[in-house]
Amino acid sequence: MEVVRVEGLGKTYPGGTKALEGVSFSIQKGEIFCLLGRNGAGKTTLLRILATQLKPTVGRAFVLGHDVLQDPKAIRPHIAVVPQEARPQMMLSPYDHILYFCLIRGRSRSEARERTRKVMEDLGLWEHRDKLASDLSGGLRQRLIIAMALVADPDVLFLDEPTIGLDPLGRRSVWHMLRELTEKGATILLTTHYLDEAEALADHLLIVDKGRTAFLGTVEEAKGDTGIGMRVIVEPAAGNGSGHAEVLEPKSAEEVLAIVERGLREKRKVTFKPASLEEAFIKIVGESIEVENT
Amino acid sequence: MLLVVISLFSFLPVIFIFVFATAPGAAIQSLIGAIVLTFSFTGLFASQSVYFNKQWFRFQDMLVASRVSPASYAVGLSVSGLVVALPGVLVALALLLLSGSWTAVGVLLLLATSLLMWIGLVFVGFAIGATTKNARRANSIPQVLSIALGFLPPVYYPLSILPAIAQPFAMLIPTTHAAQLAKYYFGLIMIPGWQVALGWAYLLGFAALMGFLASRRAHWVDP
Repeated sequence: MEVVRVEGLGKTYPGGTKALEGVSFSIQKGEIFCLLGRNGAGKTTLLRILATQLKPTVGRAFVLGHDVLQDPKAIRPHIAVVPQEARPQMMLSPYDHILYFCLIRGRSRSEARERTRKVMEDLGLWEHRDKLASDLSGGLRQRLIIAMALVADPDVLFLDEPTIGLDPLGRRSVWHMLRELTEKGATILLTTHYLDEAEALADHLLIVDKGRTAFLGTVEEAKGDTGIGMRVIVEPAAGNGSGHAEVLEPKSAEEVLAIVERGLREKRKVTFKPASLEEAFIKIVGESIEVENT
Repeated sequence: MLLVVISLFSFLPVIFIFVFATAPGAAIQSLIGAIVLTFSFTGLFASQSVYFNKQWFRFQDMLVASRVSPASYAVGLSVSGLVVALPGVLVALALLLLSGSWTAVGVLLLLATSLLMWIGLVFVGFAIGATTKNARRANSIPQVLSIALGFLPPVYYPLSILPAIAQPFAMLIPTTHAAQLAKYYFGLIMIPGWQVALGWAYLLGFAALMGFLASRRAHWVDP
């Protein structure tokens, strides 16, 4: 089932800045869809349009079958957002933050209390429930903001760089919670600068550059399309201390065999390494810049 | 609770005027001015909540993506400021009632002019808060405006103290009209009927104009 559909979406801000141009894609129910791109690439603009917070200039976008421009009220009760750089109210406790955001979703007080406790426990916030937000670490504050969105138990969750400032364990607990949500049928659109995060989570990803689609597909396709599905590192020959390791990107099995044969012949250590999404991203965005320059 | 206590302390200077003022009617005028200005400033300083919820905490984005309507957000945000200011207003009202020079109609009309002023300045607050892009301005603009709207014009003090040449300029400021009407209904000043009508028309027109301005500047969904 298609949960999000975007057709030729474009956004030019009132000042004339073109943030998005001709972007099209769709997201299926239960997917985690990652938006990647450099700073200012248009990720937040796209996310805000889909979360009904910003009007597009051209094209159409549908969330849960409703047009974001024509029928936003039908979408809003079913979505939740973690905005970029959101901060908690310093003089309010984490418990109150989450409880209030649960209550505005229309739950009864007892339901809201129960749900608040569940989300706080899942995100490791329960022991901090009565502290003031000002006394929380940066990571805990970020977890609190995420909890304020998760407490809504939304059908579609929009997260704009949600794990910024979290330690590795905190990031993983958020990943785990996102996976749990998708297993229950929620759909997630996520922007991130952490490519390991996208690699770990994304069912599909969209790389945008200067507002345009630079890549759309799966992580494996991203690596494959750029011809860096595998990297072979050939160490310098023994005794050649000043030599450098060669990093090769074989395109076929024949090329792999040739490299291995050469390594054996020259008594050089050959190691195989799967390409990372980061390498694919740099190549895709780099090519997009080159195309623009020509 | 802390905010309630602070709101009482912020009201302290007016209590000093009330206790120590010797000119006839000065204490009552200052109390009326205090009530008008408490409502006014509460409206104006909604700009800070609007700015911080939108640009700093980013709660507005989270609320847009929920069942909260723009109208309920605006009313909730505005009224919450008024609730916090209420203890100060109640203290001023209690002192006014203790002074003995009041009528029920006078008190009601004082609250009506103050509420109208509050509505107009809530709109100003929304227009400022929605268009301000940095925290320094969000804090300083309402403070500067509060001097222009509250402490300079004859709200705490009588209009007649001002030189004749300055009085028409003072009448350009909406808080002057609100205070003049309130003082009139408390029998502290005499003004002709057309000035009373002008005062109400001015306050209504100001609220309507600022409402229009706020509707153009403050957006639930960004353009």
